[in-house]
Amino acid sequence: MNQTLVSYLSQYEFYDSLIGLFGKHQGILTFFIYLLFAAIIVGLCATIGGLGTYAERKISADIQQRIGPNRVGPYGILQFLADGVKMITKEDVMPFTADKFLFYLAPMLALVGVFATLAVLPWSSGFIMADLNVGIFYLIAISSLVGVSVFLGGYASNSKWSMLGGMRWASQIISYEIPVTISVLSITLLAGGMSFGTILSQQVGTPIHWFIFHNPFAFIAFFVYFIGALAETNRAPFDLPEAESELVSGYHTEYTGMRFGFFALAEYIEVFVVCGVGAALFLGGGNLPFNITIDIIPLQLVQVGIFMTKALLLYYVVIWVRWTFPRLRVDQLMSICWKYLTPIAIFNLVGNAVWMVLFNGKSVADLLFGGH
Amino acid sequence: MFVQVLFLLSATLTIGCAIAVAVTKNIMHSCIFLLGSLIGVAGLYATLGADFVAVTQIMVYVGGIVILMLFAVMLTGGKDFISRAHNLLGLTPTMGNKWTYGVGLFVGAVFLLTNIKLFSNIMKAYPAKTFGSEFPSTVSQIGHLLVKEHVLAFEISSVLLLGALVGAAIIARPRKQ
Repeated sequence: MNQTLVSYLSQYEFYDSLIGLFGKHQGILTFFIYLLFAAIIVGLCATIGGLGTYAERKISADIQQRIGPNRVGPYGILQFLADGVKMITKEDVMPFTADKFLFYLAPMLALVGVFATLAVLPWSSGFIMADLNVGIFYLIAISSLVGVSVFLGGYASNSKWSMLGGMRWASQIISYEIPVTISVLSITLLAGGMSFGTILSQQVGTPIHWFIFHNPFAFIAFFVYFIGALAETNRAPFDLPEAESELVSGYHTEYTGMRFGFFALAEYIEVFVVCGVGAALFLGGGNLPFNITIDIIPLQLVQVGIFMTKALLLYYVVIWVRWTFPRLRVDQLMSICWKYLTPIAIFNLVGNAVWMVLFNGKSVADLLFGGH
Repeated sequence: MFVQVLFLLSATLTIGCAIAVAVTKNIMHSCIFLLGSLIGVAGLYATLGADFVAVTQIMVYVGGIVILMLFAVMLTGGKDFISRAHNLLGLTPTMGNKWTYGVGLFVGAVFLLTNIKLFSNIMKAYPAKTFGSEFPSTVSQIGHLLVKEHVLAFEISSVLLLGALVGAAIIARPRKQ
């Protein structure tokens, strides 16, 4: 059965007293718990997205031997707040010939698509909004709303640059979805389930029990996933949709003020989400080391910290890659996806399946050191 | 309670967006309303407890079909282009007048009522089938069915899809001069 946040909290005593407080209106209590945690998670992720812009500028400055933002707050860390305030107070300009309905809809759709993925992101073994038994599949499916939104944003702006950017993005996302999904599928094969709970419960113990070290094919699958995720979230070296040297700014050229902010925020949060999924699928997520089975709230918070550390390390790598590699050409982009990544991903899937049959589901670590 | 609310929302979304698809003049807007309608259908599946089918609905339609339709609409140039090519600018085809709409509504209502009458007994006799206790979720049940009982259909359909893929690649390939 699907495990949810409420079913996790209901094992504690304070939950019983809450139930006593609400009497027979338990549905309202459940609703408020979800509302509270949704607000916390959305707020947290919006902050991560905002800090992402700061990190991006600071790390790029570091790589290029500059100083970067350093005026607002200590080390310039409040720069993203200043940017946000600036964006809110900017005039909301819309091109005269734009398709109004779609122009307004597109940034919302982008944010909805990204925030909906947060419902299944496993912050820790207990703090997960809903551990759906189709978890990772749901995440891949719902995040394709972002693709639609960018496409619409490009179309509705009624501008050449936006149009080309939107079409490039849509074709990029439907191409790179294939290697990413097949890599995720091979992890599903190893875990024997699509829910994040199942996937994480198979990776407890020391780092050698993570799925990335499960077998050689899973090791390759991680890199295929990571490259594909870079392309899906429109990050360099795959940021052709907004290639500023040719398309001004791509699909959000015509967007101003907070609507542009929505697109930017959605992009940064999506990067965090794919990094978090990578951490959960391949790097053991928020699992405590050495299979500690005590389940108290402080340890859950430690798990959240472990998960965030792994996800943010991957986030760092994403930024690092962006400021290190030059942008690809469109034909190179497509040939990387269809001629290299997709065949490698399919090979990995078959390899994983063969490994599971040959070694009876044992990982390399199990074979070397025994156990499980 | 929650399921009823979800059902009402999804049903409203499905029907409302479906009507909007039919009445919108702009074909891009139609595509977007179709997107809403399909998400509503996914919500209906979710109310029935078929979570895998619901997510597959979103995956296939939102991620694939709607984007493909948007591409197709944009690459084919829209209504004016076709009308001009076939010299149809003067002749705007209409869906009908109030008589045809009236007759259509009447026939539709009769058909609907007849169907409700016919199927009501069957619906009562066969309540929604719940999955057996040997499977923890619908996902694992679908998995077992696909690789055990229906493995032949599964394989045949995958060969069919592969054939379609190869065929599309051959058609789309530039011809050698």
